[in-house]
Amino acid sequence: MKKIKLTFKYTLLVFIALVFLFPVIYMLACSFMSSGEVNRMLDFTNGKYRSLSLIPQMFSLEQYYQVFFRRPEYLLKFWNSVIITFPTVLGQVVVSSLAAFAFGKLHFPFRDKLFFVYIILLILPLQVTLVPNYIVLDNLNLLNNFLAVILPGTFSAFGVCLLRQSIKYIFDSSIEAALIDGASYFKIFTKIILPQIKGGLITLTLLCFIDNWNVVEQPLIYFKDSGMYPLSIGLSDISNSDYGIIFACGVMFMIPPMLIYFYGQSDIDFPFVQIDK
Amino acid sequence: MIRKRKSYLIAFLFILPSLLGIAVFYIVPYIICIIKSMYIGNSFVGLANYAELFRSNTFLLALKNTGIFTLIAIPLLMLISFVLALFLNSFKKISSFFRSSFLIPVVVPIASLICVWQVIFDDYGAINAVLNSLGFDAVSFFNSGFSMVMIILIYIWKYCGFCVILFTAGLANIPTSLYESAKLDGASSFQIVRKITIPMITPTTFFVFLMEIIYSFKIFREVFALFGDYPNENIYFLQNFINNNYYNLNYSRLSSASVILSVFIIIVLLVFFLFERKRNFSE
Repeated sequence: MKKIKLTFKYTLLVFIALVFLFPVIYMLACSFMSSGEVNRMLDFTNGKYRSLSLIPQMFSLEQYYQVFFRRPEYLLKFWNSVIITFPTVLGQVVVSSLAAFAFGKLHFPFRDKLFFVYIILLILPLQVTLVPNYIVLDNLNLLNNFLAVILPGTFSAFGVCLLRQSIKYIFDSSIEAALIDGASYFKIFTKIILPQIKGGLITLTLLCFIDNWNVVEQPLIYFKDSGMYPLSIGLSDISNSDYGIIFACGVMFMIPPMLIYFYGQSDIDFPFVQIDK
Repeated sequence: MIRKRKSYLIAFLFILPSLLGIAVFYIVPYIICIIKSMYIGNSFVGLANYAELFRSNTFLLALKNTGIFTLIAIPLLMLISFVLALFLNSFKKISSFFRSSFLIPVVVPIASLICVWQVIFDDYGAINAVLNSLGFDAVSFFNSGFSMVMIILIYIWKYCGFCVILFTAGLANIPTSLYESAKLDGASSFQIVRKITIPMITPTTFFVFLMEIIYSFKIFREVFALFGDYPNENIYFLQNFINNNYYNLNYSRLSSASVILSVFIIIVLLVFFLFERKRNFSE
């Protein structure tokens, strides 16, 4: 009886996992189809039901060949995504860990009130500040510059809120002991705090990377030159016309966040969900 | 906590970079936004822009849809992911493969999946093929009230795994001794969930709720990628409204819509805060 129950539970678990994985597997499978096959599948006008075939009729690398050798514009857009995302992630990790240390462990006037402002900023959707930000960026002469997307991304409140939560679980006693030994605050930050919040840092890197990798609205508004658009915008364009390479592009676009995820997988933790002391 | 007069200055130095950036790119723009919402051109009009917005049918439609989405999708996602987390927690040991598969939807970029959604939800897509073979009428996901259902389904698919992982992390922090003593006292598993699990993971729930709100505003990216600037009237959200007014260069209208959107969010948040406080789980 117990065995039947366990089998049932595992079947359910596998089913749930498949629901989450299916679209990704499907996309991967389709990326090995020839453009003719993709076109037939995505032709929404012939009035027949679509078949979700997971196995290509003929295994083909045509889509990848097209993307890498025939259509350099997509590689260029991919590179734009890299230029936008990497500095943002790096900047955000540095800036937020510094601020999170102060919010989590140091004392200063108005600390909690200031932090409440951060929480509100965290929740305000992007659209609210999109236009006023345009005015500010215009005054700073940053429009049509990658920095227009990178800088606001760097100073997002999200990282501060996330890392503060990790830092709160570090014991005060270790910091006090270091202070008595005459360590400077900066030394405490680099030698005591940073090594202990590795999981939080990796989680932030991943979430921040995904967020900026998918950026759509800001480049559309801040960049006049469409040659600067990242692949996230390029992909929405392709889905209207260029069926032949869409799945290969999608797979290519998916790889960097996946790499980060699998690299940090064992360290990713969600420290903010521990019960508050 | 470390208390020292001198440390004020040092703390301030640590915060300075973040505070400077936040002020320039978030706080100042937001103040500009509030000021602009009370002007038309260069003349001060007070709240006239707001009054005009509430007479506009497009705006009311957008407000209604955003409200419906928030009220249905967020509690539903919370419920589903909580139940799934309990289910996962009932296994003694679980391979990291399953954990990964739950997080994959968050990792996969939105634009990559647009074609997959089209194949699944199209009039002649996978779901309709199944419905048809079971003898039901076809459902038009792209052009009827079911568009909202589709967007909610995509939202849940995308963020459910993430919330499940958050919940399981929270569940892992509940001391097992609590469950054991409850079992000794003869509590049913439903009672255990209601009296122990739910109160104990309230801080987690609050964080999940926060993330769900943040992500519910990002669902606009899917709507945009699937439908462009003008989706059908069932899924015309406030974000579409703001975006379209951006292209029309109607700044005053745009700013007041932005302010209303943020007030809307702050109200939702306050309600949750109050609810939490009433149940005495606040910090």
